[in-house]
Amino acid sequence: MPSQIPPAERLLNLVIALVNAPSSMSKQQVRTSVAGYGDAPSPDAFERMFERDKDTLRELGIPVLTVDAGGHSDDVGYRVDLDAYTLAPVALTSAELGVLSLAAQFWQDKTLRTDTARALTKLRAAGRGDPGAGDAGTDAVAGLTPRVRAAGRAFGPLLDAIQDRRPVRFTYRAASTGEVREREVEPWRLAARRGGWYVLGRDRDRRAPRAFRLSRIEGNVRASGAPGAFEPPAEVDVDAFLSGRGGQERVARLAVVPERAGAVRARAVRPEPAWADPPEDPVADGRDVLAVPFTSLGGFASELAGYADAVVVLDPPDLRDAVVVRLRTAAGLDPVEDGEQDGAGVDRG
Amino acid sequence: MAERADERLVRLLGMVAYLDAAGAVPVDELAERFGVSPQQVLLDVDALWVSGTPGYWPDDLLDFDAGALEQGVVRLVEARGMTRPLRLGTREAVALVAALRALRSAVATVGPAGRSVVDSALEKLTDATGEAAAAVDVELALEGDPAVAATVRDALVRGRRLRIRYVTAADVSSERDVDPLRLVTEDEHSYLLAWCYRSSDQRTFRLDRILEAEVLSEPVAGHDDARGVERVAFVPDESAELVTVVFDSQARWVAEEVPVESVRNRDDGTFEVTLRVADPVWLRHLLLQQARHVRSVTPSWPAVDVAEAARAALGAYARLGLDTDDEGEAGA
Repeated sequence: MPSQIPPAERLLNLVIALVNAPSSMSKQQVRTSVAGYGDAPSPDAFERMFERDKDTLRELGIPVLTVDAGGHSDDVGYRVDLDAYTLAPVALTSAELGVLSLAAQFWQDKTLRTDTARALTKLRAAGRGDPGAGDAGTDAVAGLTPRVRAAGRAFGPLLDAIQDRRPVRFTYRAASTGEVREREVEPWRLAARRGGWYVLGRDRDRRAPRAFRLSRIEGNVRASGAPGAFEPPAEVDVDAFLSGRGGQERVARLAVVPERAGAVRARAVRPEPAWADPPEDPVADGRDVLAVPFTSLGGFASELAGYADAVVVLDPPDLRDAVVVRLRTAAGLDPVEDGEQDGAGVDRG
Repeated sequence: MAERADERLVRLLGMVAYLDAAGAVPVDELAERFGVSPQQVLLDVDALWVSGTPGYWPDDLLDFDAGALEQGVVRLVEARGMTRPLRLGTREAVALVAALRALRSAVATVGPAGRSVVDSALEKLTDATGEAAAAVDVELALEGDPAVAATVRDALVRGRRLRIRYVTAADVSSERDVDPLRLVTEDEHSYLLAWCYRSSDQRTFRLDRILEAEVLSEPVAGHDDARGVERVAFVPDESAELVTVVFDSQARWVAEEVPVESVRNRDDGTFEVTLRVADPVWLRHLLLQQARHVRSVTPSWPAVDVAEAARAALGAYARLGLDTDDEGEAGA
């Protein structure tokens, strides 16, 4: 018995054997002739080892085919389809490979990270050496770290379902109502926007396109139909889907206490010409008047309410009303009605 | 070696295909290409050298030029038919193309050189893998003042110190000199990771809160980037007070985006989060923003604080003659 052969080398020998086999190899031939399989102490152990190795190779993109070896029906042969094995010609420069290495660090999700790292190794094999060519490209991205947060457990099954055009079922907690319910969806696309991962697709129960946030999916995503069960639309406008974005931009006029609301000030634009000579309300209360663009009324109103008296909305009136509603609600949060608070000295204005 | 067998297999196959086409390649260059150490390259060559087709007689094995290897050069002389690079799996292609697309938007402002490299890489990759990659779509947050972002990148590329004016989440502005280390662009925000001279420590600055930036003439000093980029996210102070807030479901994003200690879903669709509050002003901001969705706060001081702040704000509207009609009385 030779000393134990490491798994990577056993797999390598299996690939080389299957690629070079004149037609195909039977299981028995693999067991008796491929280095590493002789280590299996029993037929059962060999069987398990071989099955696992086949799965590993397929997972890596190596097309292990099962062929009928003819004659006896249980005499199945295996081979690797070299045409399906081969990467289409792609010659990447070292600068392009540098950019790809940066892209490989993009995912914080472990599975996706593994996928990109492996893709990178494969692409490195395909290039031709071009020493020193164009470091300008990698220099330009020096110090940059683009990345996206992990998408969670639902990502993998959803991606597979998108590829297979297969409907899925999952339990979903709706933010609008808090309702937890089973959904059946034809998934079209996965998208990351503003810190959230979404799956876009057609909700089969509502018979309409919907977006679902991955962090609100509870439990497992299960396939619920056959592959090829639907045809996704050719174009999916992700931003239109996740509404609240791409709305019409308006400009608010804000009276801001000096030195305050820095993050809002940073977004201020020059006042429009019409404001060059301000109407009747000049700067009141010693405040600065800023023009700040916004698209989402609700989101902007919440942000501004956060600054309390440091920001007052002069215009438009609908934004001002929205902020005031929030402030009135906040003014009522005070638990004084409960009595025994330690008297926070509330003086109602 | 903790490396997984399947990852190593892909590299072993990749090296054979690469060496078959590339001819003689120095060990160091091969190591750099495959992102491993020269020692690992030698281990890989050893493994390849004893692998081949069944029989495993000398003529069955992959073979290298032993003389060249002694000179530190790897030259494959027998590939046993393993000359073709392995194709990308669908998921691999999807993951890489989506990352590249997002990267393209992040480097767009860096200059034409960076952009054209990303574009050409993306084009070659799409040619080689097909269009399956459209399944995933990531857009990074390129927020903040473009002039500030350009200045920060300029300092980063040229290795110069920066003077920035920064406003914290609690709305406190200050001026600081920093040595930029890294610009992290995520899907929600962009961050500058820098050594801050004001706090004599590494700090993370959200790009959209940098109000002004100026490149100084001093070069950056060498700082240990050991903590790396993993810690970019806000890490709450362990000693800070715990506050529990019950929100209704519309405020779900709080549980998803604010660093919370714990989240508990309740049967009526509301949920309870526990927050560590190092800075009461930060909590006041959050509760004012989400006031319509707050059901209860424990302990009660934050609610008292928020109500007071809200009344002061309503007073400001009144003083400016902007008293809105009194119909929105619906309280908590």
